[in-house]
Order: sequence, then C-alpha cells, then structure tokens
Amino acid sequence: MAGTLLDGAAIAHQVYSQLKERIRELHVRGVQPGLAAMLIGENSASRIYIRNKAQACHDAGVYSEVHRLPADCSDEQVYATLNHLNADPRIHGILLQLPLPPQLDSERLLQAIAPAKDVDGFNWVNLGAMVAGRTLLAPCTPLGVMTMLDHARVPIEGRSAVVVGRSAIVGKPLALMLIARGATVSVCSSKTPDLRQYTSFADILIVAVGSPGLVDGSMIKQGAVVIDVGINRLPGGKLVGDVDFASASRVASRITPVPGGVGRMTVAMLIANTVTAAERSVGIT
Amino acid sequence: MTAKIIDGNAVARHVRAQWKARVEALKVRGTTPGLAVIIVGDNPGSKVYVRNKVKACAEVGLHSETHEFGADTVEQPVIQRIEELNRDPRIHGILVQLPLPSHLEVRRLLGAISIEKDVDGFHLYNVGGLVVGENNIFPPCTPYGVQCLLEYENIPIEGQNVVVVGASNIVGKPMALMLMAKDATVSICHIKTRDLAQYTILADILIVAAGCPGLITAPMVKRGAAVIDVGINRLPDGRLSGDVDFESVKLKASYITPVPGGVGPMTVTMLICNTVAAAERNATKHAEKIPVAV
Repeated sequence: MAGTLLDGAAIAHQVYSQLKERIRELHVRGVQPGLAAMLIGENSASRIYIRNKAQACHDAGVYSEVHRLPADCSDEQVYATLNHLNADPRIHGILLQLPLPPQLDSERLLQAIAPAKDVDGFNWVNLGAMVAGRTLLAPCTPLGVMTMLDHARVPIEGRSAVVVGRSAIVGKPLALMLIARGATVSVCSSKTPDLRQYTSFADILIVAVGSPGLVDGSMIKQGAVVIDVGINRLPGGKLVGDVDFASASRVASRITPVPGGVGRMTVAMLIANTVTAAERSVGIT
Repeated sequence: MTAKIIDGNAVARHVRAQWKARVEALKVRGTTPGLAVIIVGDNPGSKVYVRNKVKACAEVGLHSETHEFGADTVEQPVIQRIEELNRDPRIHGILVQLPLPSHLEVRRLLGAISIEKDVDGFHLYNVGGLVVGENNIFPPCTPYGVQCLLEYENIPIEGQNVVVVGASNIVGKPMALMLMAKDATVSICHIKTRDLAQYTILADILIVAAGCPGLITAPMVKRGAAVIDVGINRLPDGRLSGDVDFESVKLKASYITPVPGGVGPMTVTMLICNTVAAAERNATKHAEKIPVAV
C-alpha cells in the first residue's frame, strides 16, 4: 500500500479560501485585519521570511507593515516599538522575526507582546492557555499540523499519537493540542533510548527533530498517519525531512512530503491567527 | 521483592528543615517571607486546607495572613484586595483557595495575581513558562511535590519512560511538562485512552492522578517501576484510598507512595518553597527593563 500524500500546498490553498470569507465578514464590519512584523538586523533568511509573510498578507487582504531596527539596537528600542504596536488599533497581530541579534533578550521581548496580538503564539500566557486546554493563539507550526489532520479528517480522539521532538514551539504545543482533542500522547526526544518502541504503536506519528532519516518505514505502524515537520538540507543541497519518505510511504496511510508538506502551512496559520485576533478584537469568537 | 514505601511526611519534614534555613538567611537580611491566602465562602474542605497552609507557614517561619470573604461576595472587592496584596511589600506569595463559589470566574481572579507572587503557579504566564522549560517560575505545587519526591529518593528521570495517568490542568499536564524538561520520555493517558495497560506496563515511573480508586492493578505495572499515587479518594466506608491498588502493586514496584502519607504532605510544603523562592527573588531583583504584557 502506498500512503496518500498530505499535500500542504493544497490544504493551505483551502485554508486561504476559508480565510477570505472571514476577512470579507470583517470588512463588512469596517475592520481590516492588520499584521506588524519587526525585523531586526540584516539576517538574509529573516528578510526572505518577512517578504513571504508580507506577500501572503497582501494576497489574503490583510494589511501589513514592517518595522526595521538596526542589528545593534537595544532591548529598550525593541520594547518601545512593541509597546507602540500593542496600543495601535489598526494592528491585530505582532510578530518579532527570530532569531534576534545576541545582545537582545528574545524570550523576554516575546513576553512584551500583548497576548491578544501574539500571532506567533510564543507568549507564555498563550502557551499557558494551551496547558489549560483553551487555546487562544497557538504557535503556527503545530496549528498547521492540526489543521492538516483536520482537513484530511484524521480521527484523533482515543488514538495513540507519538510526537518525536519536544521543542517549546513545536513538540510540546502539539502534544497539548492533541491531548485537548482526546489523543493519548507520548513525547519522545533525542534522549529516548528506544524510539521504535513508541513509534511502532502510533496511529498518528509526528516527527519534529531536525534529523534526516531518523524514522524509517520499519518503525511505523501499518496504516499510521505520518507528519514530518523536519526540514534538513543535505550536503548535496537536497531538502529532506526527518522521515525516510520512500520506506515510510509504503507503510503509512497518509504522509506529508518534504518540501511541500507542513512547511506550506506555517505562513497560512500566521494569517489565520491574525484574522482570529482581529475577530476577537470586535467580539467575534 | 517489596517496594520501598516513600514516606511523604518524612520527606516533607526534611524539605521544610532545608527551607527553614533559607528563611533564616532571609530574615538576617531583613525579609520575612509572607503568604496571603484568600478564601471565599465557607467550604469546609477549603477551611481545612487553609488552616494547614497557615500552620505550615508558622512552622517554617513565614508570615501568613488569611483574607476571608463571604460566599456571596462579588468579584470587585476580591480583585481589589488582590491588587493591594500585589503592592504589599510584606507579601511575597498570594493564593486564592479553590474552589470558588460558582458565580466567581476563577480565571479572572487568578489572572489578577502578580506573576511574581503567583505561588500556586496557576497564572497562565507561569503555566506557559513550564512549556518553555523556564526555571525561574513557580511550578504548581502537586507536580512539584512529586518531582521533589523522585529527586529525594534519587530515582533517575533522564531517559526513563514516564507515564502520567490523568491529564488535568493542575497535575497531569504540568507534571508531564516538568518531566519532559528533565529529559524523560513522557506519555500522557486519560479517560479517552483505549488501552491504559499498554502504556502503564512501559513505565519506569508511573504517576497516577486520575481520581479513580483501584484504577492501577499489579498486572498493569512494570516490575521494578516507581509508582507515585496522586489520587485521593474517599471510599464508601470512609477510608481514604489512592488510584493504585497499593497491596498488590507494592509487591511488584521498586518504590511506591502510600495514600494518605505520600504525595499529600508534599503539596503544602512546595507552597512554602515557592513563597520563600518568591521572597528570595524579590530580595535580589533588579529593575525590569522590559515589563511583561499580561
């Protein structure tokens, strides 16, 4: 059996068309969702990300603006801009493009973004709400994974989900979102002595470690749904995930490719969070 | 083989003695750690809990004060009192005793507590810190007590298979996050789990907080596991029982906590630890350059 592809581009396309409806509804109420991005320094990858996000806003009908500060700026300067944006009624979402230059205190600055505008979902109040089982704004990558599962109508309640990787922005939020939906969740990491013991009983297997080929077909339960969040560049330049696609796709019922899988969802989820934040600002829940 | 029975009362005494020394050190520097407890209504269970907390404070040398409100109080005076306590330099920890009368919104009251004085660790900011794996927060007292018992008994956590049964907001989920931060592989089971035994049998450390007497029996437990029973259930005949079938499981486990006398005595102890830690942080605090937007 060959697993059906979970096509990130196709699902993202559906997400955008659903968002268009919500944005139209907001326009009727006189609200245009607005996203402000902060870009600090000259990191070339960050500049590309910001350009992609601004383009996605434009395409979706979301206002966006970019605030740039020099690489040698201080915490106080970043804070002043964030604080200004917290109070700006045109702005519903604020994102601080990471990584920041080393003199800046990223974790602390993320806490200075008002939770209601924290569309990256990195503020501790938003992460804490996920533990409390009432997610307000979820980090974009795990939200993208959950959206893919839902679009593919993958049953979650009562299923065994295994998350490999326990980062604060992917693995742990995903585990919390899956628990909230009634899955039994195991969280593995590089410190797990026998990874196969867990992966082999997963109905839903999500891998987010950053280790090419970590999981192969022999470790996967027949018929499992496999989501590969990893994105690794091999010495030859080729992009691969954490899952050995060729062997895994023979065992899985559904599987995401890399590239073209989860990666395509992330920016769409940023726009979705901005729209959600704008809706909340006018009392739509 | 019979398991070592972990004596929560003895560990709690030991931990309190250690922290008493830290309280003495603070007093030398002119600070007495202070805890304020807010209690609304006259739930008899809550009154017992509050009395135990006040007693524990006195024993370790903390200042404590109780702020009582009638069962029919509205939100505003309680929030106003919390805000006064937030500013009160003699108070380092504030807790609102739960449950609250149903007309009060728990989240709003807990959210009013300053994150620097949130010694129950229920403010969403402190809960979120657990997700990030931040150390400089207040872990919620019950899972913190379990972690403390494991560490006191030198039970290894890193690389171990941990299974947490029960996914509550104040025990199961924070517990899972705290043990992930200690490099355990953690599974979280709950009422929707189809085959509980499939998980529990894997566990080197099995933590049960389901509120279901006799849920865990010996065949479900791996030989040599450490079994921590957070459940506390009153049986029809009046006896207290945990979630684990103690008599059969103790023959298979390497460590086991009794109920009562296991995790229970640790919870109040950790509240004291969090309050002293709050006072220590306050004594060494520098002006924050970047205020938190909560």
